[in-house]
Amino acid sequence: ALPLLPGARAYVSPRPPFYRPLAPELRARRLELGAEHALLLDEAGQVFSWGQGRHGQLGHGTLEAEPEPRLLEALQGLPMAEVAAGGWHSVCVSETGDIYIWGWNESGQLALPTRSLAEDGKTVAREASGLNEGGPSGGEDGAPAPFIALQPFPALLDLPGGADAVKASCGSRHTAVVTRTGELYTWGWGKYGQLGHKDTTSLDRPRRVEYFVDKQLQVRAVSCGLWNTYVCAVERGES
Amino acid sequence: MAEDHREPLAGAGALRETLRVLLPHTKEELVPELGEKVERSVVRLLWEAAELFCGGCRRECLQASEAILDYSWEKLNTGPWQDVHKDWRRVYAFGCLLKAVCLFEEPGDGPAVAAALKACDMGLLMGAAIHGDILIKVAAVLQAHLPSGKRPGPGPAQEQPSMKKARDDPVSVPDVALERPVPRLRCPSLQHFRKQFLVPGRPVILEGVADQWPCMTKWSLEYIQDIAGCRTVPVEVGSRYTDEDWSQTLMTVNEFISRYVRSESRDVGYLAQHQLFDQIPELKQDIGIPDYCCLGDGEEEEITINAWFGPQGTVSPLHQDPQQNFLVQVLGRKYIRLYSPQESEALYAHETHLLHNTSQVDVENPDLEKFPKFAEAPFLSCVLSPGEILFIPVQYWHYVRALDLSFSVSFWWS
Repeated sequence: ALPLLPGARAYVSPRPPFYRPLAPELRARRLELGAEHALLLDEAGQVFSWGQGRHGQLGHGTLEAEPEPRLLEALQGLPMAEVAAGGWHSVCVSETGDIYIWGWNESGQLALPTRSLAEDGKTVAREASGLNEGGPSGGEDGAPAPFIALQPFPALLDLPGGADAVKASCGSRHTAVVTRTGELYTWGWGKYGQLGHKDTTSLDRPRRVEYFVDKQLQVRAVSCGLWNTYVCAVERGES
Repeated sequence: MAEDHREPLAGAGALRETLRVLLPHTKEELVPELGEKVERSVVRLLWEAAELFCGGCRRECLQASEAILDYSWEKLNTGPWQDVHKDWRRVYAFGCLLKAVCLFEEPGDGPAVAAALKACDMGLLMGAAIHGDILIKVAAVLQAHLPSGKRPGPGPAQEQPSMKKARDDPVSVPDVALERPVPRLRCPSLQHFRKQFLVPGRPVILEGVADQWPCMTKWSLEYIQDIAGCRTVPVEVGSRYTDEDWSQTLMTVNEFISRYVRSESRDVGYLAQHQLFDQIPELKQDIGIPDYCCLGDGEEEEITINAWFGPQGTVSPLHQDPQQNFLVQVLGRKYIRLYSPQESEALYAHETHLLHNTSQVDVENPDLEKFPKFAEAPFLSCVLSPGEILFIPVQYWHYVRALDLSFSVSFWWS
C-alpha cells in the first residue's frame, strides 16, 4: 500500500526525490509519512522512524533529527499491528489492542492536556473526579497535571471503557481509532469538523463518534486526509 | 501617544476608509506575487478570498482567510525555519491581512479591533512583508482606533517595580572588582576600535556613544506600554532556555508586563531576541545604530536588531553567536561574563545540533565535578549599565543575568 511500493524496496515521497529506496533488511510491511517524518512497520511488528524530530514525532526521546530509519527501542518486544503518521505526531496499535502515541500535542492530538484548548475554553469538561478544580487533574492529591506541548517518547493511551483498538489513522493534527467492537474514537484538531462530533471544537481526549452508534453502524476502517476523515462502516448484523 | 489620535465611536466610517485606502484596490493588485512553490490550488484560494474582499463579502472572506492561514501555518511548521520558503510566509501574511481587515464591523468593538491587531502581529512575526510592509501600516491604524479603555496610559496606581521588587532571594550582585574587567573606552575612533578590538576579537565597553540616544531618557514601563502595550510579542517562559520546562508563547506587551514584570511571578518571563523595532517602527526612532557597524562587510539593512526586555533575574546561558554584537543597555543593569573562543574546550558545549552553540555549564553555579576544566578558564566580566555598549566579538562566549528590570538592544552585524 502506498506510499510503500510493491516489493517494499522503496517508497514514494510527495517531495523530490520522489523515489526513495529502503534497505531490504528492514522488511517493511507498512510505511506512513508525516509532514517531516516517516514511520515504518516491519514484518516482525517493530517500528522505525526517521526525519525531523523537533516536535518529538520520532519517539526516540530527543528532538534531534534522524537521517536513517531508527528502531523505536521503547516499543521493542511489543509487536505492533498498525502505524499511523499525522503531520507532526505518530501512533501505533499493538496486536493486543493498545495504543501508543507520541509527537506534537498542540491541538490535543496526543489526547494529552494542551494549553491552547484550556486557554480558549474549548476543552470539553473532564469527567468529574471529585478532585478536578477546572484545570487538568492527575494524581491522587488532585494536583493539576501539567500541559504537554510535545511528547518525545511513546505514551500508552487508554480509550474510555478500556476498549481495544484495531486500526488507527491520523490527519494533520487529529487522530482517529477504530475499536475491536466497531466503534470510532477521534480527538485533536476539530476546526474543520474532522472529528465528526457535529461541531468544530478541538479535543484533547478521545471521544466516541456517536453518529455510528446512533445509526447502528459498525466501523470497519478509518482513513484520514489532512483535514478530514473517511470511515468505512457496515450495518450491524452484516458479516 | 498624543490624545488626538484617539477616535472613539465617531470613527466608524473613517476607520474603514483609512484601511481601504491603504490596501490595493483591485484583486489583481491585492494577491501577492508568488512563485511555483505555492500550489495552484492554494493560489486559487487566495484569488477567491481577494474577490470576496473586493466584493464586500466580509464573512465569507474571513472564512477563506482562516483556511489560508491554517494551510500556510502548517507549511511554516514543516522543516527547519530557515528552510521555509518565503512565499509561504507571504501567503501567511496575506491571510493575516485579510483577517485583520475583515474581523470587525465597528471600531468601537474593542475585542474585535484587538483581535485584528493580533492578526497583524502574527503576520509580522511569522509572515514575510507584502505590499510594502502593509501590515505595519494596518497595525498602526488599528492601534490608533482602539477604544480608549483598551489603550493603557500611565494610571494613577502603577507601582514602580524597581522599588517594589521584594523577591524571596535578594539579587546577588557579583563583586566584579574581584574579577578581570572588560576594558572601557570613551568614544574611540573607528580606526582605533577596528585595530585594537574588532580585528583581534577583543571585548570592550564603549562609553559616551549611545548615552544620548532618545531611548535613554524616554523609555520607561509606562512609555513602552503606551507605544506597544497592545501588540503581540513572543515571550520565553522558564528560567533558562536549556531547562526542560522552558517554553515560548505569545502575549501582548501589556500581558507580559503585568504577568512577569509587575507581579511576583513564579516563572521567569523574558521578551528575548525579538525584532521589536521591525514590528513597531515608532520605537526604532528612539534608538540609533552604532557607527562602528560600518566597519563590517554587510549593509545597514542586514544588521539584525533585537530587543531584550525582562524583569530582574532573566538569564541567558553561556553561548556564542555567529556574528559581531553590540549590546546596548537602556534600562537597568546586566551582569555579563565573557569567555574567549580559545577556551571553548573548557566550556563543554552541548553535543546536540540544537544546542551546539551553548555551554552545559551553569556559569554562576558550575558543577565542577562534571565540568572540571571550567574552573580554570579565564574570563572577563562587567556590570553593563544604561548608556553603555558592550562589544561582543563573533563567537565570543557570553553569559548574561539581569540585575534589575532590564531593557537591552543588540545589534548583530558582520
